[in-house]
Amino acid sequence: MNRREAIQRTALALGYAISAPAMMGVLNGCKPSPELAFKPVFFTEPQAQTIAELSEIILPKTTTPGAKDAGVPGFIDSMLKEVYGKEAQEKFIEGLNAFEEDAKKTLGDGFMDLKPEQRVAHFKKHHDEALSAAGKGGPTGWWNAGKDGDKPFVLKVKELTLLGFFTSQPGATEVLQYKQVPGPYHGCVPLAEVGKAWAT
Amino acid sequence: MNLNIDAQKQQTYDAIVVGTGISGGWAAKELTQKGLKTLVLERGRDVKHVVDYPTMTKDPWQLPHGNKLTEEELKFYPVQSRTNWVSQANKHWWVKDTENPYTEVKPFDWIRGYHTGGRSIMWGKQTYRLSDLDFTANAKDGVGVDWPIRYADLAPWYDYVETFIGVSGRAEGIPHLPDGKFLPPMELNCVEETFRDKVAEKFNGRKITIGRVAHLTAPLPHDPSRGVCQSRNMCDRGCPYGAYFSSNASTLPAAAKTGNMTLKPNAIVHSIIYDEKKGKAIGVKVLDAETKQEVDYFAKIIFLNASTLGSTFILMNSISNRFPNGLGNGSGELGHNIMDHQYRAGATALVEGYEDKYYVGRRPNGIYIPRFRNVGDDKRTDYLRGFGYQGAASRTEWQRGVREMSFGEDLKNSLMEPGGWSIGITGFGECLPSHSNHVTLNKDKTDIYGLPTLSFDAEWGPNEKAMRKDMKDSAAEMLEAAGFKNVTTYDNPDNIGLGIHEMGTARMGKDPKTSVLNKWNAVHEAPNVFVTDGAAMTSSACQNPSLTYMALTARAAEYAVNELKKGNL
Repeated sequence: MNRREAIQRTALALGYAISAPAMMGVLNGCKPSPELAFKPVFFTEPQAQTIAELSEIILPKTTTPGAKDAGVPGFIDSMLKEVYGKEAQEKFIEGLNAFEEDAKKTLGDGFMDLKPEQRVAHFKKHHDEALSAAGKGGPTGWWNAGKDGDKPFVLKVKELTLLGFFTSQPGATEVLQYKQVPGPYHGCVPLAEVGKAWAT
Repeated sequence: MNLNIDAQKQQTYDAIVVGTGISGGWAAKELTQKGLKTLVLERGRDVKHVVDYPTMTKDPWQLPHGNKLTEEELKFYPVQSRTNWVSQANKHWWVKDTENPYTEVKPFDWIRGYHTGGRSIMWGKQTYRLSDLDFTANAKDGVGVDWPIRYADLAPWYDYVETFIGVSGRAEGIPHLPDGKFLPPMELNCVEETFRDKVAEKFNGRKITIGRVAHLTAPLPHDPSRGVCQSRNMCDRGCPYGAYFSSNASTLPAAAKTGNMTLKPNAIVHSIIYDEKKGKAIGVKVLDAETKQEVDYFAKIIFLNASTLGSTFILMNSISNRFPNGLGNGSGELGHNIMDHQYRAGATALVEGYEDKYYVGRRPNGIYIPRFRNVGDDKRTDYLRGFGYQGAASRTEWQRGVREMSFGEDLKNSLMEPGGWSIGITGFGECLPSHSNHVTLNKDKTDIYGLPTLSFDAEWGPNEKAMRKDMKDSAAEMLEAAGFKNVTTYDNPDNIGLGIHEMGTARMGKDPKTSVLNKWNAVHEAPNVFVTDGAAMTSSACQNPSLTYMALTARAAEYAVNELKKGNL
């Protein structure tokens, strides 16, 4: 996350307290500058590192930006602090701790001390288990299988990663495509003419 | 003494309109265009078209928290958030429940927006006419009271309103869903076209049409300030193009242009002032929302357009020797017969094929399946009336990724392609008027202005429950018949009120003993007071009601001005 994004997210996290014109002032007065270290507001540093790593495993940098490029770790941190209720926060941390404990128990090291391929394997194990336990879910929209508090930890991270990534500018415009002003609606167009999936 | 007379003169107008939402904007436009000096009162803050739409051009990454409210923010909106629609993009349009209390004897979702334009800023834009199937229904079924008007009374006013606001739709020649003055229809997508054709084929010509909506699909010659829909589907933030109808974009600017409108925001109407000697309503008592100061305003005619329950509240709170139980409440029906539309029951399905087809744009509209129950030869034995469906087909997008087995580069690559097609429809079902569904004035619980509050005691009845079952079953039946897969019915919790189509509580009728308003929307017992919002509805039909409020308002305004000229009011 660059400085501009960092300020934007912080300012926006304060939401309604800042008027739109004031917020524009903050943003316009801020020149792009080199990467700032991601400063968690909810997670501890080690927790934040694990979350950042998981988000990048879910959506890695390829020829296009990945989760870290899009500021997803900071997004998740802020979502946990601002949007998750107390009970949901506690469940999330419980899940994170259990994920970490299982890494120690089965692989002999904490998640961040594992080799990269071991991290992926550890994520995959939990991810596959969670999905096969949860069943198929409904056909449309957000997947409701297991209400917010009940969704297994790895799927909460996956959900937050997807939300943060595909609502970010790199995710929406470089990985998918996005037009704020599409113009008149065309209902039946060859996919080849449209190209990639729409972000919204 | 002279000072008082001067002050009273300054506070005197030809007409007063209470409320600036979908019907209040119309009252303001009609009365000012007919030359009446009109005071338009809005209880909330002022909202100017475009200027006061702070989020209208924000991209997804400019909205915090993936557009979700924070825990702190949610505390302000425990009722409004029952809709699941309150977001970072639109949170400024919903009342803070913490500041606008009411009592739920039984659960009632009272969804409100207090600001200039009211809910015309965030309405759904679905725009349908009622027909004589609806206007004769109460009389035929022996439910409630008969409407004092028929379709022929309202048809020219539907024409008039549609022409002015701009309604996109397709003429279908359905007698019970009359065609209107339509701008070009929006397009169906490929799957919706198939669904339309299959349902027509398998259900003896049953119609599926594109939603009729108050979005411009072509310029309006009489209103060049409004532009054509750009398929942003960010309507709930306010439209920079003025492409959908709102009071702010359309009727209020027209009223302002006459020079006859005085618009006063932050003006909460406490009650209607009834002059016992003159035997008529002479004005309104207003509380300034900022200073809490009380001011009286006077006029020859008063239009209540404060929203269904807002208007009824004002009548209930207007106590005099003549009207100890609320102004115009000789019938005892004021506050009773509250109605809404039930929805969130229907079915969804997956659609195979069409993988090489997609769409461009975010259409702020969907398909509409006009009512087919208890119409013509269709006779249900388990319930009266019927329902229409709204829905859409679309391809799944990145949200589907959570439950995909893949992750990493595979997941990223797969989400760059649109997912499979799915389709969903939900019924919008008629609700019968029932005297037992009512609101009362609660003097024990006052708001921050010291005003009494409303207490709701209403629930869906057996007719609605029986209909709801069919809303699910008939949805599944059509999706199955179209050959779609994994057809799944759903029935999500749905308190009365959640349809945000609250209607009734000051119904129109022929007899002052059983109704509050006459056929011109005037209070039977106070004929210079007009109520032309949802409160006036005698039955609910199953169509989205806003167009009918607008048509009733324009019709009542013409009548009121004519009567005024004749010296009858």
